[in-house]
Amino acid sequence: MSASLRAAVVPGALALLPAYAAATDPFPELRLAVRAAVDWLGPAPEILGDAQGRRVGQALVEARGGFETVVEEGAPRPSRNHLVVANGTARRSRTSPGPYDERARPFDDQLGKALLAPDPDALRVLDQGLATELWASTAALAALADLLTGEETVTVDYDAAPYGVQYWVVRYER
Amino acid sequence: MLKLGRHAFADDRPLVMAIVNRTPDSFYDKGATYAAGAALERVAQVVEEGADIVDIGGVKAGYGPDVDAAEEIRRVGTFVGQVRAAHPDLVISVDTWRSEVARVVCGEGADLLNDAWGGHDPALVDVAAEHAAALICTHTGGLAPRTDPHRQEYDDVVAAAIADTTAYAERALAAGVARESIVIDPAHDFGKNTFHSLELTRRLGELVATGWPVLVSLSNKDFVGETLGRPTGERLAGTLAATAVCALAGARIYRVHQVRETRDVVDMTWSIAGRRPPLHAIRGLA
Repeated sequence: MSASLRAAVVPGALALLPAYAAATDPFPELRLAVRAAVDWLGPAPEILGDAQGRRVGQALVEARGGFETVVEEGAPRPSRNHLVVANGTARRSRTSPGPYDERARPFDDQLGKALLAPDPDALRVLDQGLATELWASTAALAALADLLTGEETVTVDYDAAPYGVQYWVVRYER
Repeated sequence: MLKLGRHAFADDRPLVMAIVNRTPDSFYDKGATYAAGAALERVAQVVEEGADIVDIGGVKAGYGPDVDAAEEIRRVGTFVGQVRAAHPDLVISVDTWRSEVARVVCGEGADLLNDAWGGHDPALVDVAAEHAAALICTHTGGLAPRTDPHRQEYDDVVAAAIADTTAYAERALAAGVARESIVIDPAHDFGKNTFHSLELTRRLGELVATGWPVLVSLSNKDFVGETLGRPTGERLAGTLAATAVCALAGARIYRVHQVRETRDVVDMTWSIAGRRPPLHAIRGLA
């Protein structure tokens, strides 16, 4: 039997960092979902992502403050929890940060299916070269694939592209 | 915290005070809001444009026909009550140096007494204390109300402004005005020539460093006009330049005719200074 697992995917949007806080939140629903996912992981999760993504993940964990994880009576205790910082493309539309590329939406659709299934094999063979071309942040997804068996309970807390960048907040539990 | 009558403001928030003249002869608007209806419309407009405070005045600062206390009360007394009723969340200031006028307007709901003539009436502080009103302590170089400067000089105009305004502030404090309800104003152009007002602007940080919140009243004044060679109606750009310099130094309250433009300049400058976050930020951060 596989070890228990809690993992969450959150985007690496820099606007999530306290250093870039504006007077109005550009994406309050995303932030709520991200905070809830980080809280759900509990203290000191392993943070997976590229260098910038890990910095965002670290800031999210630090911003959580002094909460305590509540473990329900009889519930299996996770062996190690993982915060995976990754997101889809940033060239999906004319208002995306990057110049429009017609391959972006199909890429996001395919990636979304793999994340939500979950389909570890599809995540493992993701075309990282194309991801780079489309300004997607997917470096950590191979490591996520190694954590998943495909049998996890998946909860999708956020799936949208509010500023032309595809974000997901997804939680996996096993 | 800054407490202006019924209203409290955090220290990180700059405030815009809109001028509303109930006078037939003020230098900038020339009587445009002398009538009560027009003045109420002006109040509604400046609130919509982002003003935190209205400063209601019944006597022109410069030379002109005498306006006694009874006439000043007739102009501003009940009007303050009308503004209070129409805008309960608005800070109401009254520009007066007379304690008898101050007593009436505080009874009508004024939050703040703007003593533009630097404590000429020594009883004004007592009225502010009695009514828990805030007080603006200005520097006029000892001039009597409604007097222009003539050959006035200072060893150091900034030092003089600091000495006089802080002494006035301490006198108000001793009279019972709350510390968080006292503001100082170097009063550009009052008892000063253009060189004095430019120096006050350049060295405004020294007034801010006293720890008292600082109000600046720069709007369309003669020091702007003389500096740029502009008549009264063409001084907005110069006013806003001076506003930005004072905002960078940390002035808290800006007394102005043009609210929307001032609000933008002050907010932008406070953001540049790192005291105010941008309203919205997603470019390059998504």
